Amino acid sequence: MSSIKMFEKPLGMRDTFPITYEKTEKVRQIGREFLHARGFDFIQTPSLEYFDTVGKASAIYDASLFKLVDSQGNTLVLRPDMTTPIARVATSKLLKEKIPLRLAYFANVFRAQQTEGGRPAEFGQMGIEIIGDGTVYADAEVIITVIHLIQAFGISSFKITIGHAGVLNCILKDYTESNEQAHTLRTLLVERNYVGFEEAVESFDLPKTKSDALLQFISEATSFVSIRDIEKYVRKNDSLEYMQQLMELIEVGGLSQYVALDFTLSSHMNYYTGMLFEVFAEGSGFALGNGGRYDGLLQHFGTEVGATGFGIRVDRLLEVIPSQPSSTQTIGIIFEEVLFTKALEMANSYREEGKRVTLQSRKGLVDEEAFAKHFDKIVYVNQEDVAE
Amino acid sequence: MSHLTIAMPKGRIFEEAYQMLIDAGFNLPEEVEMSRKLMIEIPEEQIRFILAKPTDVPVYVEHGVADLGIAGKDTLLELRRNVHELLDLKISQCYIASAGLPNTTMNEIAPRIATKYPNIAMNYYKEIGEQVEIIELNGSIELAPMIGLADRIVDIVSTGRTLKENGLVEYEHITDVSSRLIANPVSYRMKSARIQELVSRLKNIVS
Repeated sequence: MSSIKMFEKPLGMRDTFPITYEKTEKVRQIGREFLHARGFDFIQTPSLEYFDTVGKASAIYDASLFKLVDSQGNTLVLRPDMTTPIARVATSKLLKEKIPLRLAYFANVFRAQQTEGGRPAEFGQMGIEIIGDGTVYADAEVIITVIHLIQAFGISSFKITIGHAGVLNCILKDYTESNEQAHTLRTLLVERNYVGFEEAVESFDLPKTKSDALLQFISEATSFVSIRDIEKYVRKNDSLEYMQQLMELIEVGGLSQYVALDFTLSSHMNYYTGMLFEVFAEGSGFALGNGGRYDGLLQHFGTEVGATGFGIRVDRLLEVIPSQPSSTQTIGIIFEEVLFTKALEMANSYREEGKRVTLQSRKGLVDEEAFAKHFDKIVYVNQEDVAE
Repeated sequence: MSHLTIAMPKGRIFEEAYQMLIDAGFNLPEEVEMSRKLMIEIPEEQIRFILAKPTDVPVYVEHGVADLGIAGKDTLLELRRNVHELLDLKISQCYIASAGLPNTTMNEIAPRIATKYPNIAMNYYKEIGEQVEIIELNGSIELAPMIGLADRIVDIVSTGRTLKENGLVEYEHITDVSSRLIANPVSYRMKSARIQELVSRLKNIVS
């Protein structure tokens, strides 16, 4: 191991420089106003949680958790997501006051990484959770909200892919002969290994009707246009009807063009019990965010109510959002020491006009020319001005 | 029609895969001048090829700078990148196996495995309940058992000739390998129609 140099930060940690900071603030502002106006209440939870509560319940892999030990010897984690802490707060306190809850957050989460760059270990997440409503209308609200939110950021090229854990489970169960087989196939879908899926199906030695159905399902599963296309694979069940209803609600909202079906969508966490979705946008190589119904997580905290929501990664949002130069004019006022009073007056009057004003004494400057380059306009306060 | 960037491994796999695309009816020039170029534009088909080291292909695809890529299953297993595996192209087929000197058993205390696939080797021995020490090498892996660096090697085998010529025998067949078409998760959604079309055309060619 080479020794740590003074400028280094822990792997994956990033400084936020002014340009990024401003962009992030803008995102926060737009997102906050948008979600607030839709009746969501913003909350904050602590950065540190117990490993035994939030750490274990979280969907994030154990190896990605930052762990530390408190003075009593309990293992703590830096919160790896926001959904789990919110589930904790909701079940222990908030749900007793109001049900259903509509909560929103904008917070940094922490995920340790072992590999190369391009992946921050701390990043902002913005999202909502609707807790205590098990109906399809809550899921529709989540999806409609995420679409409108993305549009509010000025992003036009994006896609939401929706699947349903119940529909997938039904297919995997019906066309395989054992739970292990279904589990193997589900794991391959989590990894998005379609080739492996086909190989596994062939290796199971299933009756031909079953293996043919599975192979045909996998070749079509990501290009279903309407919910009717999947009906031939699944016997009538609640999940399918639910999805039908959900898609109708999205259509009523006039948002069908942003939505695609993907019944291979699967999560390694079994607390996703119902519909789940991913958000993609042009401009980033990684998914912008994801969401879904996670009634199972609430059960983990001892409450049997429905919960659904989404989270969007702010770092990826910044890659995708079209950049807009700031419209505020910046003015630098450089003054001679004796003229401070005059300079201050001048600065105040510019500030009242809404300009961004920096007041700088000439004596404090090393390189006046270099300093001046950072402003739209430079005003000198010197003896001649006084003479006027 | 959306523009596609395809990351291709340099060398023989490129030629085979390129021929497959021609066979699938893509309008590509028969001869490509490949000398030192790292990028080939095909304006007629709105396709751009980038030529990378085979093990780097999944990296380009994961980061989304390439929409699609052609990568060996060995590389995919070793790097475990977050990409979609769409199609087995069934080219450059071979397998990964363990090998060693004939009639030897592994050291009982700390068996040593030399390989350029540390993750694949580690996972394999974990699965079969054997705790081993991995020694990572970058080439001429066959040397390791011959001069006593390792008890076994885990490496790619196509004909088995290299093993034989160095007096090694194959012990365990670990996994089959061939070239796969992979996709970036975002491209797979945002350019879905284009990619699906390419996949189905290639699927018809794969024998």
